[in-house]
Amino acid sequence: MKILLKAFLLTAPINFAYAAEGQKSAGLPQMDIATFPSQLFWLVITFSLLYLFMWKFVIPRLGATIEERRDKISNDINDADNLNTEATDILKKYDEQMASASQESNEIITNSKKAMLDHLETLKKENEEKVNSLISESQAKIKAQEEKSKIEIRNATLDTVKAIVSRYIENIPSDEEINKKLN
Amino acid sequence: MAADNPIDPIHQFEISKIADIQLGGIDISFTNSSLFMVFALATTMALFVIGLSKKSIIPNRMQMLSELSYNFIANMLRDQVGDQGRAYFPFIFSLFMFIFFCNFIGLIPYTFTVTSHLIVTFAFAGLIFIAVTIIGFVKNGLGYLRIFYPSGIPIFLAPLIVPIEIISYLSKPISLSVRLCANMLAGHSILKIFAGFIVMLGFLGFAPLVFLVVLYALETLIAALQAYIFTILTCIYLNDALHPDH
Repeated sequence: MKILLKAFLLTAPINFAYAAEGQKSAGLPQMDIATFPSQLFWLVITFSLLYLFMWKFVIPRLGATIEERRDKISNDINDADNLNTEATDILKKYDEQMASASQESNEIITNSKKAMLDHLETLKKENEEKVNSLISESQAKIKAQEEKSKIEIRNATLDTVKAIVSRYIENIPSDEEINKKLN
Repeated sequence: MAADNPIDPIHQFEISKIADIQLGGIDISFTNSSLFMVFALATTMALFVIGLSKKSIIPNRMQMLSELSYNFIANMLRDQVGDQGRAYFPFIFSLFMFIFFCNFIGLIPYTFTVTSHLIVTFAFAGLIFIAVTIIGFVKNGLGYLRIFYPSGIPIFLAPLIVPIEIISYLSKPISLSVRLCANMLAGHSILKIFAGFIVMLGFLGFAPLVFLVVLYALETLIAALQAYIFTILTCIYLNDALHPDH
């Protein structure tokens, strides 16, 4: 800034001198009183026109546009708020329904689990009974077979004893006698 | 003529007649100054006519520009004066737009800066001073005189304070007009001087050229800033007239 000022001060006298030399009226053109009426006259005219233009045209129209926009924005915000509350309500309802549905499904799951377990239990019991009866049947069969086999063995033994004894002695002992001896 | 000297920094402020008009012996010729007043008027009108040609909820660029300037001045007036200032909005808005465009058009080479003439800025400042004084007395009656004696000042200081306040009040139009005019005058002169250096220094002229570019950016800022300062000071004076107790 200092350099600037210096340059201005250094050159100013020369420049002012030029201006003074050229013009008959010395000094700045700003000081030439003869131009004042014209400047004031045209300033009044142009500025009055501008004032009228602003007052009658620009400000009402711009004000209306800005107002309109403000209204529109506030209306839109209201609408958005309303929609938001609606959406929140719907979400609440949805959550409630979800909660009740999940509770219901939990109940269904517990019930069906219980039913399944019960069914399983009965099946198990039935099968056990069946198996047990089969086992006892089989045991009975085995016992019968054993008995049968025992008798057969005894009979076979008896026959064999009889056959052997008949070889050596004439007098064949009775079955009771042999049995008594075998036991 | 001074026009023969290409590096005369004052030449740009000279007023030359375009059409000679005399009215009752008074010279009201249409000059280059008048022409650039008309340009400032036309630019402002063009901005708003184009900006408002399509009023839409979502503004285009020109509408955005006109709405920005409207809101800028409306907010300034509301912040400084409050709701009572609404009646003066057309004047404040016109004032800002006119000075703003006068300052800006003046930055274009070979143009004329209307606001570089003290008589123009003094006409505005004088009008504002008279209007503010009248508003002050109409709204507050003689109570308006309280602005010369701020509340909370001991009575023995009154002989000192009151003359100071009166002088500062009366010097408001002078400081207001000289501030704007001097800024425009000095800024444009320095621009012209450095432009002259570029010519004089020949191939070394790039140094002042770089400086000129920076200076031009500064002058652009000043053009906007001075329009803003002029307008906000007007708002402050208006506020003093409407609320002299503050």
